[in-house]
Amino acid sequence: MTSPEAAVSAAAALERASQQREDWSKATSLGRVGIFGNGMPETLIAAAGGLPVHVSLGTTTARHPIEAVIEPFVDDEVRHFLVRLMKGDFAGLAGIVFARDDAPAMIAYQYANEWIRQDREREPTPPLFLWNLVHTDTKPVQDFNHIQAEKLFAFLENVGLAYPSDSAVADAAAAEASRAEALMQLRQAVGVTLSGSTAATWRNAGRFMSAAEHAGLVTDALGSPAETLVSTRIGIVGSPLTCPRTYRMIEQFGTVVCDQQTFGQTWPGPGNAEADLDGILSATAADPSCFRITPASVYRAALVRNLVDAKCAVVLCQLAQTDDTFGWEIPALFAELGSHGVACVNLGFRDSNPDTGWLERASRLIEQALEARK
Amino acid sequence: MSKDYTQLESTRIAADYQREWAKGLRAQITSGEKYAFVNADTPHELFHHIGVPIVTNQWWSAIIAAKQLSEFYFDYMEAAGFHGRLARYSSLPLIAELEGDTGRQPWGGLPTPSILCARQSADDHQKIFSLWSEKTGAPLALISSPAVPDPQADWWRLARQDWEELYHTDRLDLMVAEFKALIEQLEALTGKSFDHDGFALYMDRINEQERIYEEATALIAAAPQCPIRISEQIPNVMIPQWHRGSDWAIEHAQRFRDEVAARVDAGTSVVENERIRMMWIGAGLWFDTSFYAAFEASHGAVFAWSMYLPFAADGYIRESKGDPLRALAARVSAMNEQLHQPPWINSWMVEQAKRFRIDVALMLIPEHDRFSGHGSLFAKEALEAAGVRVIEVWSDMVDQRQWNRDEITARIVPVLDAILAERI
Repeated sequence: MTSPEAAVSAAAALERASQQREDWSKATSLGRVGIFGNGMPETLIAAAGGLPVHVSLGTTTARHPIEAVIEPFVDDEVRHFLVRLMKGDFAGLAGIVFARDDAPAMIAYQYANEWIRQDREREPTPPLFLWNLVHTDTKPVQDFNHIQAEKLFAFLENVGLAYPSDSAVADAAAAEASRAEALMQLRQAVGVTLSGSTAATWRNAGRFMSAAEHAGLVTDALGSPAETLVSTRIGIVGSPLTCPRTYRMIEQFGTVVCDQQTFGQTWPGPGNAEADLDGILSATAADPSCFRITPASVYRAALVRNLVDAKCAVVLCQLAQTDDTFGWEIPALFAELGSHGVACVNLGFRDSNPDTGWLERASRLIEQALEARK
Repeated sequence: MSKDYTQLESTRIAADYQREWAKGLRAQITSGEKYAFVNADTPHELFHHIGVPIVTNQWWSAIIAAKQLSEFYFDYMEAAGFHGRLARYSSLPLIAELEGDTGRQPWGGLPTPSILCARQSADDHQKIFSLWSEKTGAPLALISSPAVPDPQADWWRLARQDWEELYHTDRLDLMVAEFKALIEQLEALTGKSFDHDGFALYMDRINEQERIYEEATALIAAAPQCPIRISEQIPNVMIPQWHRGSDWAIEHAQRFRDEVAARVDAGTSVVENERIRMMWIGAGLWFDTSFYAAFEASHGAVFAWSMYLPFAADGYIRESKGDPLRALAARVSAMNEQLHQPPWINSWMVEQAKRFRIDVALMLIPEHDRFSGHGSLFAKEALEAAGVRVIEVWSDMVDQRQWNRDEITARIVPVLDAILAERI
């Protein structure tokens, strides 16, 4: 049983990690490897003796000449990342791995790679690697994905880490299993003692630390005093969202019990806790939260199942200004959820940090939808 | 002068052929023949060779737009709950299908396909095609699209012979395996066996066709003045491209090349006194192709280049080297990416601009078809560094709601005026 002091301390640590992002792990003796996007199993980095740290959640107000080649329809997280990369923010990383099947990650890789290939103005940048995993389960794809793992291991060796042995993979997977267990308890606490907003912060803090450290902190933090919650059960779908103000606005009306956007419960991916490479690759390739999974119907089916199982009364869809993918799901998703008695509200396009006007409008839309359910 | 411009005989023949083909296809389909609805960057060759007619998504999209129907369908799209920032070019046929009134569509619309095929080159292709599959019940064959991690800038120099090195063995192995699965699907669909020996010959014929277009490209690039409009280049290369390797396609490629050669020999040109050469970067402006002639009379400015003709050689010729299926994988495995991703697109644009002696590039940047828009500003910078003036056209190839001809003309004219003033 965690003491109240330890719980408060763990919760504070998770909050700090969430704010400090990749800087949280600066003191580690492990080689830090950046990850851009969902779909790269952190287990494999850890098995090589590295510390995986995500690089796409940060923002910057700095400017850099690379902005001249970034079109306005490029996702915000890509823009911020590219500026930060070229300003040298990630120079301390051993390398950065980009998940090909994560749309922003692919563009971030291409633009970074091209800027560097042209030897344009920049501070030191770490080596970049494209994780080309294909999301389906045919034998040729399994073979292909194994080759990608071999290429990843060669990259990790080149940047000074170890070639992951079977036992190292098993050890890293065990740490991920303990994280998965802690995150399951976290999910169960949401709506009981914990808000969805806090859960999102605690979960995403794990993107900047080892699985074992994360598991320990989450487990301890769960002993924190219960938050005051509104009982309406809310689901979130759509574009990647981390904005605390938006979560706070939403949770005036209920608790986010099912957070299905990219920075929500879809991370860590399902492959991380598998005990061997085959299992890790197969489970990662079968991750239904990947936009590019084949067959494509798996994506929406999983969304509906998760939202209905979570007993959501209302599902909120929110979209980045640049969305060009999730929008194809909206009519059918809303229809299917409606057939389960779930109300759906499209809050429309928003900035990464929405302004007060957007928050007020979204607030009115949620209020109206909940009124209509009475 | 341009008012006296005479259309090529080839252009009329190509349009007539496609119209008759479409009519025949409709008749075949309504009498129970199977057909496939496929994206442009899929292995059409497999369908052609086994005898399954195909309708290409982007071609059908262009036809709908050319019939001035896109505005209606995109309004419908938003009314149906799809937001207005989704891709248009690759989705217009889907929206027409979802709307359901085939009587409104060109030629009475399309019947339900027997199979759908898309490659996952863009993030939304599988979404668009899976909605089509849900609506019609047609099975969907999706081709994977892992990326080339180390794209080499001068891809067109390597792609014909050294494609294994350029596109990578693991990617080609995967694509060949997926082609074999698709062949099995097509065999089951048709009850026919795929003739592998015949396929090698068929692939050779496609290379032959694209080499003819390479000759036509060279003629146009080297001619002192541009002999034909791009609005004629496009149908003369793309209609045969949808029928590539067929007797008619090869015959038409020869006819087109010969007609171009005759014009060059005769000194015929789009305008009598050509003063400015322009390139149109991006897909065609399908609902307003007359725009391509808009500056001929006023400035002696000719659009000499669009991607479709030169891409026939650089994008399609892949030597079989004893393995035609693998050569096809090489053709398909980065087909779309070469036109839209850095460093491929920027390097190729500069090479083409130099070859065609381009002064001004109009660059179509479709905001809501991101795959087609990515890399545009890298290409713009590269062209400017090579001495080409670049005018950005933030519009869409099939959505005329985003097109303001007067506004874009007002932006182009001062640039053309400035070039002419410099040359006095």
